[in-house]
Amino acid sequence: MIEFKHVNKWFGKLHVLDDINLDIDPGEVLVICGPSGSGKSTLIRCINRLEPIQEGEIIVDGVPVHDKKTNLTKLRADIGFVFQQFHLYPHMTVLQNVMLAPVNVKKMSAAAAEEIAREKLTQVGLTDKAGAYPIQLSGGQQQRVAIARGLAMSPKIMLFDEPTSALDPEMIGEVLDVMVNLVSEGMTMCVVTHEMGFARKVADRVLFMDFGKIIETGRPDEFFDNPQTHRAADFISKILTH
Amino acid sequence: MLADFNFRIIFEYLPLFLTGLRSTFFISGVSIMLALVTGTIACACRISSIKMLKYPAIAYIEVIRSTPLLVQIYFLYFGLPTLGIRVPEIQTGIIALMLNSGAYIAEIIRAGITSVDDGQIEAGVSSGLNYFQRMRFIILPQALGATVPPLLGQSIVLVKDSALLSLISVMELTRCGQTMTSERFMPTEAFLTVAFFYMCIYFCLKSLADWSQKKLIFREAY
Repeated sequence: MIEFKHVNKWFGKLHVLDDINLDIDPGEVLVICGPSGSGKSTLIRCINRLEPIQEGEIIVDGVPVHDKKTNLTKLRADIGFVFQQFHLYPHMTVLQNVMLAPVNVKKMSAAAAEEIAREKLTQVGLTDKAGAYPIQLSGGQQQRVAIARGLAMSPKIMLFDEPTSALDPEMIGEVLDVMVNLVSEGMTMCVVTHEMGFARKVADRVLFMDFGKIIETGRPDEFFDNPQTHRAADFISKILTH
Repeated sequence: MLADFNFRIIFEYLPLFLTGLRSTFFISGVSIMLALVTGTIACACRISSIKMLKYPAIAYIEVIRSTPLLVQIYFLYFGLPTLGIRVPEIQTGIIALMLNSGAYIAEIIRAGITSVDDGQIEAGVSSGLNYFQRMRFIILPQALGATVPPLLGQSIVLVKDSALLSLISVMELTRCGQTMTSERFMPTEAFLTVAFFYMCIYFCLKSLADWSQKKLIFREAY
């Protein structure tokens, strides 16, 4: 579904992605973790070309993402992206937020888009907030709207960039519940997160990054209970002890 | 001190001042409209990635902002005829004010656009919206709200700047003061009246700016 082949990326002199090779299967749930600045956000931002790469190739569903001829609109329509800071459009209602891309990118009729939008809002448990503005919602609710906004495009892949890191602790659960629900529907997901409970419960694979390299990958139980590398063990002990 | 002022003469000249006021209204109104168009186009070119558009826009904005308005007015007033373009003073004046304010408005709009959080653009990009859709649905609706107060501020500046057109003998408010001064030699009364009228325009525009700001803040907080 998603394939990284010898991907290299630099920010100036900083080697943010160092020879990344990775294969993600359809329906797979991949959790990416690692210290800050390790390149994990950059990694998933390259999948829908929010970031350019300098070397290598990323292929999503048979399409070379960083090829000049690639139809980016179509590619991005198939990939949902959820940001740490939600990035809802503040001047639009929740419903308008969710409807914007289906109407303008998929050229759906407003009625059809509204039906889908309401369905997705129900799926994230926010049926009654359709008419509200983002500022009236809690962080957890905003992030669930952002997930609904991604789902409204019926994507093949959902990418999550630290979806719970900007939330108050008591709101993390509601967002993770929505994501767990998505996993059970068979969505292909890449999730940058340090939520170990989530990773243990639903991830098929955990990937640990540092200094732009993939240091270790493994099944969640193996990775958390018995990390193979010193660096991963050190990292796990740090996120466990706070 | 006030007893030394001759208020009767002001009333005598009131019809002249009112035509001057009307003229200032007209010149400022037309100039600000044209400047909005100029500014919008200049801003669109300035933020464009096409070099053929971007660099001329930068040159225009920088030249205007680095030179005094009076110099620009004189340049057009004396320069256009030497190029064979003969237009009445009032049009020269409007062109000068349009070009001058246009450059500032371009920067005001640009500041509004760049003030929109990058995350908004990224959210639009990752939903597959193209550049024009992002501009229309996401960026401009948020940017333009932020530009309303500074645009009204620029209008206030333009109204006061239009006084400089008196120097190329456009019959506007300040020119009326000069006329009265030269006919009756009562500059204090003349320019007190002129200042009073400018203040009236200023307070109208300022209350509009305050009102719009409240309106905008209200909308954001909804």
